[in-house]
Amino acid sequence: MSGSRATRTSELRRRLRGTSGRGRRLRGLAALLAPYRGRVVLMIASLVIGTAASLAPAPLAAKAIDDGILPRNFHYLELIVVAFVIAALIVWVATAAQTYLVEWVGQRALADLRLAIFAHLQRLPVSFYERRPTGVLISRMTNDVEALDTLVTDSVVTLFQGGLTLVGTLVILLSFDLQLALITFIMLPLIGIASLVFRIASADAYRRTRETIGHITGYLQESLSGVRVVRTFGQEHRHADEFSALNELNRGANMTTVNMNAAYFPAIEFVSAAATVAVLLYGGNQVLHGAIALGVLVGFLAALNNFFDPITQLSQLYTTYQSGMAALDKIFELLDEQPEMLERLDAQTLGPIRGELRFEHVSFAYAKRDGDLDRVALDDVDLAIAPGETVALVGATGAGKSTFAKLVARFYDPTLGRVLIDGHDLRDVTYESLRSQLGIVPQEAFLFSGSVHSNIAFGAPQATDAEIEAAARAVGAHEFIQALEHGYQTEVGERGNQLSAGQRQLVAFARAMIADPRILVLDEATSNVDLHTESRIEQGLRRLLAGRTAIVIAHRLSTIKGASRIVVLAGGRIVEQGSHDELLAARGAYAELYRDWSQVAAAA
Amino acid sequence: MSTFRRLLAFLRPYRRGVIWSGALAAAAILATVAIPYISGVAVDAIHDHRRGRLLELALLIAAAGFVRLGLSAGRRLVAGRVSLGVEYDLRNLLFRQLQSLELAFFDHQQTGQLMSRVTVDLQAIRFFLGYGLVFIVQSGLSIALAAVAMFAIEPGLAAIALIPVPFVVYVTNRYSRLARPALQEVQQRIGELTADTEENISGVRVVKAFAREAHQRARFERTVARVFEQSMVEARLQARYNPLIGFLPQIGLAAILLVGGRDVIHHQLSIGQFTAFYTYLLMLLSPMRTLGVSLGMAQRATASGARVFELLDRNPRLTAPAGAPPLPAGSGQVRFEGVTMRYAPGAPPALHDVDLEVPGGRTVALVGATGSGKTTLAALVARLYDPTDGRVLIDGADLREVDVASVRAAVAITGDDPFLFSTTVADNIAYARPQATRAQIEDAARRAQAHEFIERLPGGYETRVGERGLTVSGGQRQRIAIARAILADPRILILDDATSSVDATTERAIKLALAEVMAGRTTFIIAHRLSTIALADEIVVLEDGRVGDYGTHAELLERSSLYREIVEKGLPDSVLLTRRQRERQAAGL
Repeated sequence: MSGSRATRTSELRRRLRGTSGRGRRLRGLAALLAPYRGRVVLMIASLVIGTAASLAPAPLAAKAIDDGILPRNFHYLELIVVAFVIAALIVWVATAAQTYLVEWVGQRALADLRLAIFAHLQRLPVSFYERRPTGVLISRMTNDVEALDTLVTDSVVTLFQGGLTLVGTLVILLSFDLQLALITFIMLPLIGIASLVFRIASADAYRRTRETIGHITGYLQESLSGVRVVRTFGQEHRHADEFSALNELNRGANMTTVNMNAAYFPAIEFVSAAATVAVLLYGGNQVLHGAIALGVLVGFLAALNNFFDPITQLSQLYTTYQSGMAALDKIFELLDEQPEMLERLDAQTLGPIRGELRFEHVSFAYAKRDGDLDRVALDDVDLAIAPGETVALVGATGAGKSTFAKLVARFYDPTLGRVLIDGHDLRDVTYESLRSQLGIVPQEAFLFSGSVHSNIAFGAPQATDAEIEAAARAVGAHEFIQALEHGYQTEVGERGNQLSAGQRQLVAFARAMIADPRILVLDEATSNVDLHTESRIEQGLRRLLAGRTAIVIAHRLSTIKGASRIVVLAGGRIVEQGSHDELLAARGAYAELYRDWSQVAAAA
Repeated sequence: MSTFRRLLAFLRPYRRGVIWSGALAAAAILATVAIPYISGVAVDAIHDHRRGRLLELALLIAAAGFVRLGLSAGRRLVAGRVSLGVEYDLRNLLFRQLQSLELAFFDHQQTGQLMSRVTVDLQAIRFFLGYGLVFIVQSGLSIALAAVAMFAIEPGLAAIALIPVPFVVYVTNRYSRLARPALQEVQQRIGELTADTEENISGVRVVKAFAREAHQRARFERTVARVFEQSMVEARLQARYNPLIGFLPQIGLAAILLVGGRDVIHHQLSIGQFTAFYTYLLMLLSPMRTLGVSLGMAQRATASGARVFELLDRNPRLTAPAGAPPLPAGSGQVRFEGVTMRYAPGAPPALHDVDLEVPGGRTVALVGATGSGKTTLAALVARLYDPTDGRVLIDGADLREVDVASVRAAVAITGDDPFLFSTTVADNIAYARPQATRAQIEDAARRAQAHEFIERLPGGYETRVGERGLTVSGGQRQRIAIARAILADPRILILDDATSSVDATTERAIKLALAEVMAGRTTFIIAHRLSTIALADEIVVLEDGRVGDYGTHAELLERSSLYREIVEKGLPDSVLLTRRQRERQAAGL
């Protein structure tokens, strides 16, 4: 009990303080705005001019009464009205300029920020992505940048304008009459305390409404994606009930905000009425005593509105401001992430390779999040693969097959030992020159949204249409692509979801084919694709592998049998290697694996 | 009934709340309008040196302020509850409607489209019903009451003062109508940007493998530029309209200052009345804008309402007649009588005049090429669809004439790409039987060869899976789904390529366990591997939506050349494939 109170207190303290990392934020923001200095200056100038001009009506009205109306000087009144209209015109123009400039600078800075995050993400190594859920990274670029967006588009102007109006009104009230102003300011601590309580409480409440609505959307999404399972097992009522419960939670969270708003906003209104009363009473007496002019009192009453409005506006902004700042912190945290495995400064360009691959006493362990090493994934692997050789990697899940492939592509560097291509240590060559000569085909063929054409061309951007078609023909993909509605220009959809798994695989083969790599690393798909495509894939694979050094994480018997060498991995070590017949004769681990395979594949 | 009237009907359960919040709002506005009026009288009192009157009037303002405090707090509480109530009801209503619609409906809908009905459109409606309506009433009343007060003071000046009102309302309304589509387009493009980001993060290995960072960055830059451009379209609209909306009332104020001031000079107006006029116009600034914005809300809500009603008005098909009896008890005998099935009118039939009778308790393998109708046949047994022609019967009952829930409870299907919910492994296995004990769940998992790997998960059976939890491999997902189907304890079990992603050693173990599970149930097996087909008592060979042959292993060996070839070659896939190609060649294709 006391523990939860203690965390609650520290949480409160943290939120009240809210200054941690302010220096970093300001420096970061300044860096973002720096390229647009000129526009930022213009923007601030138009904000100041516009706000100043918008404060003019109250003192002008006071002047009109005291120096025009009461002394019956109609000419003076006319002058004041002209000044009034000019002030209004200035506000019009300044606001228009400021609206456009704020949006321009804000959106441009956000665009730059997005590009900076994107470029930074690209520099980070694959190991970075494996330690973090994809959703979290995506959320940096989407939710967090959008929180900043809301701050820019909805709030920055209000923030500046409200603040300036508040300060300006303060000055005007003080210049009208010191005593009257001081009386009004008595209300300040009241409003201050109310706003503080409100903003702390509402930050929590609004966070809960966002969370609960997030749950609702997530649940809805899931019950739509899983609609087949829901129908199959006839669980519609349960889902409706669960949804209802989430809906009720959301209503409860919203109810809290309604209650808080119902307490806060009328209270502020009341304080403003109370201020009117105090000013009327005290100021009225002053007028009666001849201490101040009547116009001052009227102007003062008119200016009071300007004083309380910004306070309520600013406290409404508080949550937006908070989440924007939190988002900024998270974004900067990501940008501060140091890319490991940077290219060496003296890295050489790897010339055209023959495709000889050598692992020299390679051991590898993944790093855990806390920086410690996880258990060993590869243990003293020593292997030489000749140019043009096809090696099938075989072994149980977790035997180290995928790790082996990742080291060839230099997604990771070995913990001990060296990986060499044509005698060059991979750490000594540039990424570009290495990877442009490697082809990697992952198990789940990942396609980008765009046309079939652009996906194949991903492997060789300058490829002509004829070359693309030739690559597709070579792996046996041309036939199905032709049959698609728009042929090579058919959109494959997000992650290629308009194509079947087998078709995606074939496009990925074509993509690797056109890149024409000397060394090919391929993780074969396990699942059954439809019959028609299955044999096409086998043919495509054979053509793809021909004449290249190939490392295949093999799942199909046909591939394994067709390999020039089979390497059996277990627990990160090479336990056996040789041809299919040799290994069968040895009656070792491979022979055992093969028995399972053939039973599943063929036993009747 | 017009869409707008139907929307208002959602307020019916909250009639009392609506009336109360209207009354409270009106009373609060009365108090708000009274304050400048009294202030004006007070200024006159000061001008005339009537000190006693000043105190009275000041107390009156305090009283009005206090009454308003209570009234508007009350109004917010009542209106807030109405708004939240409507939101709650609407959301539940839409969800229940989605749950009652048949599977075929979802085949033709994009999830994103449906999502936006329940989120975006619903929001537009609830903003309008919850706040917009109140705002319209409130700002309309404010303007009307202030107008009444002003006309009471000086009709001529009141007419001048009110000139800007219709213009402000018109311009604001116009702006909110133009801004809406512009903003939606911004959102649309942000959506593209999100998709682009997602793709680049998920596909980072491919990008790095082909060293295509620069290319992807250039593509992303274009997407970012599109967002920027559209944001500027919106900004220009804002810069054009918002300052104008702020400027118009200032003209009214200037007119009051000039004309009203002259009247005071000529003793046609008191200084207090002049002050009151001035304050009223200041006070009306926000109701004028609010009215414009709220009218825009009403238009948006009507458009959204039309889309929501389109969904709500769709009658669920695939229902049973009222008071339909549950599926009769039985051994799970399945009969297809002249069944033809088209997924859409005019589409080629997925099943063509199928007659088939499977005795209860039997295990039947469905063999055939992709598109031969295996999955459709399975879906009809669970009545996920109704056949276009003919009848499907379980234990003698036409599925269309018995309670749907009882059919679904009797049939369990598990496929090659099963969907798991983002909850714990245990809850996923117990999906069809939420009240199952842990022992029963573990038993089902053991039979599906899933127990061992589940035990090794970080939280065992309590590990969360799916989008927001642990990602499990395809083979693991399939095993959890098999456990789910086993625990459902169905009369009829359908395994649609259910072990395709499971590795060879595990698959063999599942097969052994399944033999036990299948005992006493009617089981349909769809598989590409002969070892799986071998578990069946009888085999149905499907060819292009028709039953090509049906019989035991021995019978088919005897009379079906196709089946014989499958068995001899050992791999049904390659046999079917080469046969197909041969047939095509024969047909001159």
